[in-house]
Amino acid sequence: MTPELVVFWLLSVLTVASAVMVVSTPHVVHAALWLVVTLGAVAGCFLVLTAEFVAWVQVLIYVGAVVVLLLFALMLTRSPASTTGATSRNRPVAAFAGFSTFGVLAVVLTSGFRGIVLDLDSQPDQLGGAAPPERIGDTRSVGEAIFTHWVLAFEVLSVILLAALIGAIVVSGRVRDRDRQEAAAGGGS
Amino acid sequence: MNEFIAPTVEYAELSPLLIVLGAAVVGVTLEAFLPRRGRHRIQVVFTLVALVAALLATGWVAAGLDEVEGASGRGLIAAEGAIAVDGPSVFMWGVLLVFSIISVMLFAERRIEGGVSAFAGQAAALPGTEAEREASRQGIEHTEVFPLVLFAIGGMLLFPASNDLLTMFIALEVLSLPLYLLCGLARRRRLISQEAAMKYFLLGAFSSAFFVYGIALVYGYAGSFTLADIHAAVDNNTGSTNLLLAGMGLIAVGLLFKVSAAPFHAWTPDVYQGAPTPVTGFMAACTKLAAFGALLRVFYVAFGGAQWDWRPMIWVVAALTMAIGAVVALTQSDIKRMLAYSSIAHAGFLLVGFAGAYGGDGITSLQSVLFYLAAYGFSTIGAFAVVMLVRDPGGEATHLSRWAGLGKTSPLVAGVFAFFMLAFAGIPLTSGFTSKWTVFSAAWAGGAWPLVLLAVGMSAVAAYFYVRVIVLMFFSDPVVDGPTVSVPSLFTSSALVVAVVATVVLGILPGPVLDLAQQAGAFVR
Repeated sequence: MTPELVVFWLLSVLTVASAVMVVSTPHVVHAALWLVVTLGAVAGCFLVLTAEFVAWVQVLIYVGAVVVLLLFALMLTRSPASTTGATSRNRPVAAFAGFSTFGVLAVVLTSGFRGIVLDLDSQPDQLGGAAPPERIGDTRSVGEAIFTHWVLAFEVLSVILLAALIGAIVVSGRVRDRDRQEAAAGGGS
Repeated sequence: MNEFIAPTVEYAELSPLLIVLGAAVVGVTLEAFLPRRGRHRIQVVFTLVALVAALLATGWVAAGLDEVEGASGRGLIAAEGAIAVDGPSVFMWGVLLVFSIISVMLFAERRIEGGVSAFAGQAAALPGTEAEREASRQGIEHTEVFPLVLFAIGGMLLFPASNDLLTMFIALEVLSLPLYLLCGLARRRRLISQEAAMKYFLLGAFSSAFFVYGIALVYGYAGSFTLADIHAAVDNNTGSTNLLLAGMGLIAVGLLFKVSAAPFHAWTPDVYQGAPTPVTGFMAACTKLAAFGALLRVFYVAFGGAQWDWRPMIWVVAALTMAIGAVVALTQSDIKRMLAYSSIAHAGFLLVGFAGAYGGDGITSLQSVLFYLAAYGFSTIGAFAVVMLVRDPGGEATHLSRWAGLGKTSPLVAGVFAFFMLAFAGIPLTSGFTSKWTVFSAAWAGGAWPLVLLAVGMSAVAAYFYVRVIVLMFFSDPVVDGPTVSVPSLFTSSALVVAVVATVVLGILPGPVLDLAQQAGAFVR
């Protein structure tokens, strides 16, 4: 057992245990906080798997933004903080679906990736970029891949963000008073 | 450390896509700076001009495509391998843009609502509140729908042309996100509209998750996102077959959801019913075309070598889709839900063509599906445009019983609708017959004859409910206080004329468009 493997196992156990807590705790806020632990542990796993950039993105976006957003949503919607509203009669069915999906994925992934070792010394070109990256998964190689090979995908992503922004304004924005007067002056045409 | 090499992007070949997305961004800016009063008119004109420009650019790109050496297709791989600008892509771009122009004309219709568009005056105002009444009294409306629909069209142009799975996923999101929003913006019956948007959003997010998980597994199998590399990996049989099968299955779930194939069709009736009718027509024609294009590209190009693995799955899905679409449509009493089930049934017929996977002489499966999509889109936009016109005081009269005797009170509108129904049913001399004929013959040539027999049977079942509507309109007595038929503005009437003419021409003289589809040739890797 190498030290990396020990760390990876510890983080994996932490991920699974906190994920179980997320779905089993009756408090919604506690569930959100347990989610921080889960996502943070996943970030640790990424780090052990040499994906340092993805690890920090995971911390920034998921722990930093998504969970905070979730907590804000809970706060603003005044959802009951200590009820077990999520339990329903569907629970056994949901458990069955969850466990069978887990089983299928576990079989597929272990049979697919068993025995594959990431060789850090031979520097295989896995990112599809023109030049082989110095190291897999570090920020520099990810950056180069994004701005050469994946440049179109990257630019189109900004279009999604703009569309989402406009959409959010459309569904939530109120018409300003000045516009109201203008529209009224126009006789509703 | 090695030097940074700037990527090359073939701007000229991508011009249709760039025009549409650029126009969407400019449209957002217009929204911010124009005074509210003239905004609607300017946005409509601007959107239509942009779409026509993109259509012209598509024609120019199509004329300049080069033959690919050693392959049967024409075209090139652009933007660092992200987009395949080939014959099928260009054909789909052209058809998509034509459908978009007609749909935007329906979006722009204001006369039948009495001076306002079919979209909610103020989406943030709760249904039934004073704020909502205030907004509609003052004629406030959301002109943001035009930039949003341009974003969706941009995503649809990119989706079937993407040459790697990552770009395809991003395109899927670009086309879906604006659609989720547009579904929730109906002016009338806002609660079911919002419910539709919510349902579409949640289920769409699930299907996207399936899709991206499939991409991850296929990446694990092939070590690449690019379709050509995946094809090579499948041919050389590298990696674990389990990963490939699971990945293919999950990618299929994501794509079959978008084409509304059973058993992933459950959202279709609710969303088609709840969404504003112009949006429904747009989705039924354009989303279906883009999603089928992507489905064909992924499965023919990337997984072509594994077709003995996926064809049984598509056979089952196709049979199920046709059966559910045709049989459940019989029980519907709402015209929009009935058209939604009809759209599911047509997805089944298209899947029959897809399952044939015939690539030999004559019309290939790909070309027949492209032709079917073009023919079906015109009729479906036309049918939804007619639904917009038949109105009660509270909005569209979508209950079937309200349509009784419409042929006696307004024979022209009822006649046009009956004509579209005949086209859906596949009666000769309409586009529905020629398109069904090409798809089924390609599937037969590909050895899928049991499926073709089932498809013909299901066409007969489907014809029953289409004819039932015609009988209801022409041979029943009109209801007392029946719905009125609004006189539309030039936008809707010209859209309807285009739809009718296209349905007639594709039925009587399918040659030119069929030639175009044949010239589209095959996908380029």
